[in-house]
Amino acid sequence: MIKLESVHIEEVRGIRKLDLVFGKEKFAISGPNGSGKSGVIDAIEFGLTGQMGRLTGRGTKGLSVSEHGPHVDQIRFPDAAFVELKIFLTELGKSATITRKVSSPKKPKIEPGDADVKAVLAEIAEHPEITLSRREILRFILVEPTKRSEEIQSLLKLDEIGQTRGALNTAQNRLQTFYTSMTAQAKSQRDALTRHLQIATPRSEDLLEVVNKQRTVLALPAIMELTTDAKLDAGLSSAANLSGFNKVSALRDVVAFAEFAKKFPGLAKNEAAAIVADLAKLEADPTLLAALQRRSFIEKGLSFVDGPVCPLCDAPWQNTDELREHLKAKLLKSEEARKLQESLLKNGTIIVERIIGVAGLLAPVLKLAQGQGDQNFAQLLTLWKADLEDLKTKLATVDRITGLKKRLERDWLAIPEALPKSLTAFNDTLNAKPDQTAMLDAQTFLTTAQIRLSDYREAMRASKAADIARLSAKAAYDTYCAVLEDELNALYDKVQKDFSTFYRAINEDDESKFTAKFTPSEGSLGLDVNFYERGLFPPAAYHSEGHQDGMGVCLYLALMKQLFGDRFTFSLLDDVVMSVDAEHRYQFCKLLKTHFPDTQFIITTHDRLWAEQMKSAGLVTAKTSVAFHSWTIDSGPLVESDNEIWDDIAGALGKGKVEAAAAALRRHLEYVSRLLADQLGASPPFRADGKYELGQMLPSVLKRMKEIWGKAAEAAQSWGKAADKKTAVEKKTLLTTCNGGANVEQWAVNTAVHYNAWANFGKRDFEPVVTAFKELLGCFRCESCESWIYVTPRVSPETLRCACSAINFNLKARPK
Amino acid sequence: MTTLHQQIAEKFLAKLKGSKDVDVGKIEQLRRLLADSKKIKADEFVRIFSQSDGGDIK
Repeated sequence: MIKLESVHIEEVRGIRKLDLVFGKEKFAISGPNGSGKSGVIDAIEFGLTGQMGRLTGRGTKGLSVSEHGPHVDQIRFPDAAFVELKIFLTELGKSATITRKVSSPKKPKIEPGDADVKAVLAEIAEHPEITLSRREILRFILVEPTKRSEEIQSLLKLDEIGQTRGALNTAQNRLQTFYTSMTAQAKSQRDALTRHLQIATPRSEDLLEVVNKQRTVLALPAIMELTTDAKLDAGLSSAANLSGFNKVSALRDVVAFAEFAKKFPGLAKNEAAAIVADLAKLEADPTLLAALQRRSFIEKGLSFVDGPVCPLCDAPWQNTDELREHLKAKLLKSEEARKLQESLLKNGTIIVERIIGVAGLLAPVLKLAQGQGDQNFAQLLTLWKADLEDLKTKLATVDRITGLKKRLERDWLAIPEALPKSLTAFNDTLNAKPDQTAMLDAQTFLTTAQIRLSDYREAMRASKAADIARLSAKAAYDTYCAVLEDELNALYDKVQKDFSTFYRAINEDDESKFTAKFTPSEGSLGLDVNFYERGLFPPAAYHSEGHQDGMGVCLYLALMKQLFGDRFTFSLLDDVVMSVDAEHRYQFCKLLKTHFPDTQFIITTHDRLWAEQMKSAGLVTAKTSVAFHSWTIDSGPLVESDNEIWDDIAGALGKGKVEAAAAALRRHLEYVSRLLADQLGASPPFRADGKYELGQMLPSVLKRMKEIWGKAAEAAQSWGKAADKKTAVEKKTLLTTCNGGANVEQWAVNTAVHYNAWANFGKRDFEPVVTAFKELLGCFRCESCESWIYVTPRVSPETLRCACSAINFNLKARPK
Repeated sequence: MTTLHQQIAEKFLAKLKGSKDVDVGKIEQLRRLLADSKKIKADEFVRIFSQSDGGDIK
């Protein structure tokens, strides 16, 4: 994938113009709230994906990149807002530059425009999850299992899989319904054939026996085998001219229809009643009806989503995934409606089967009525058949079923009032017809038999094809679900293991036996975690909020590892590290260093101490970190650099701006003294409000440092390490000398003599102060790596170190 | 890098070869569909499964 070499940002969010060099390394950006850190993250995310996560998602309605991406003073000139990223493509081994303007986020300029470079950047653009902000981390932990499943599946790009599974399921349901319909059709055709032939089952042997009897009457050769192309009326010279009317068969058709008509009142009564009951539920609960109506509407909308514009209301969205998730969430809310929908369709399908049965008996009678010229009866049957066809169509969709309540409450078949009389009259008419001659009877018997055999064969073929189709669809759906379940279980198992490993790495001191367990089930993902080996509980049950936050970060890292594998080379962590409690920050740094050595994390934090701890832990260096000390709407973030602070102060003094130089020195001292107090375990006078004054903090740091050098000298003496002892003594002496120059210790005695007076100094008065403090602070830094020194552990320290270990003093004396 | 979607599709098609209910022609069409399209609609599956031998000649 990629690593960032540098970024140039202009007029994006709160940034006017900013250049940062990342050098493909892990990088930290610190600064107080509102200093512009997240603006950098927004800009990088925008440069890579064309999106800004902060302007999408919950609570961001009305926000958009196009309108709110540019600096507030450039809203009317979005062309001025752009990001230029220099990227190293790790697998291709080459660099590229991507420039993206807010005015045309989908058309980045990529140089070189090689296909392989564009392919990698296109892939990155589809992964906005490379950015994790603090407000997002709990979405994996403190959510309902269904929501967690959605979040994780969304992050792992499982939406497509869900879409495929859903489409396979819909396909198998449709083909099953079609098969049911085709089977009913085939049964009707079979009944028509066997009724005509007067045989119990359509066996070839029985069929040929009956047919050959009639052929004998006509002196036609017997058919020995019922081949697929065998014609039962083969040899009839005048077959084409025959009406096809066979009196005996016709009477049987009419009688069969009349007999079946007696069963009409009880036909699918239970199913119709069930539908009526379901429809009554809908009437009683309008919200359910609304959910049901919405469900169908939303399902349709979801199937039409092909871009970041809602197909239902034309509302624009930041991205397609978000729109799709929004619609899916709405679908979930109507679960009860879904069950109702299933019930309605299931009972509707059974009624459709019965309609096909009725239509199967009605069709030959209608044909007879037409053939016999009984226009009125034919018209009655035609209208009824059309009505039943219409009912059949309506029963196929929930939308239409809802309008059938009244019909289903009574005689849903809507038998024409005149049917019984008309049927009897038609029967009488047929009966009154003179019997056909044996020859004519045999001829029409054979022609009718051939027609019905053909119809039956056709219906059987259709039914068989429908059977093959639905079996194929079912096998495919079942197979897909089985493979999906296996793969997801394996995936969750891996994520679960990595998650536990990462969390243990951070909390090795008190939760070294931590484990977690995912419980995947259809549409949801349960998560339980071990609480001090007392059992598995939901994350929020007993763990503190800090620990829950830590879990969120660990789960994110586990998911990203799973998603990208070795290609997880880049991630933006926006104020996420604040979620890790103070006791476990070094372990967190160690986790990122050891488990993700090849991943470039760009980390922001509003806690400057945290930023320094990242340096002390060796996660970043002075060169791979930057601090913003403040922000103004006109200037954007103001960058503070430890290395350059003395140049900045000298620059201010050079311009005669003593006040500015004094302010810069004061801020630097405040920051460094807090940092050193923490890293060295100093003991300033305790303040419950935590608002330590520089006049209290810095003297306590000096005192502590002297103690530590004293301990280092004693320990070296006890171990016989003369060189170490000499160095420690020299360092202590140097510290005392420098302290004398800075006159810091007096602050603890007389707070009136401190930095507030500097503002009134002249340039020549202040220069020695700057020199003294520069030398004094130099006593706390490693000359090699320029990191601030620290003790470990902070309580009862055993070692004094720097990030590169060039400074490494034992503080424990040899036991006597 | 193959996505999970692709991994599942490959295993699905391989396992489907052992099914007596899905012929080779349909499996090949499913392969093409899964490779070409991210968002597959039910109609496309219905069309494939409804072909008697995996082909579309009538």
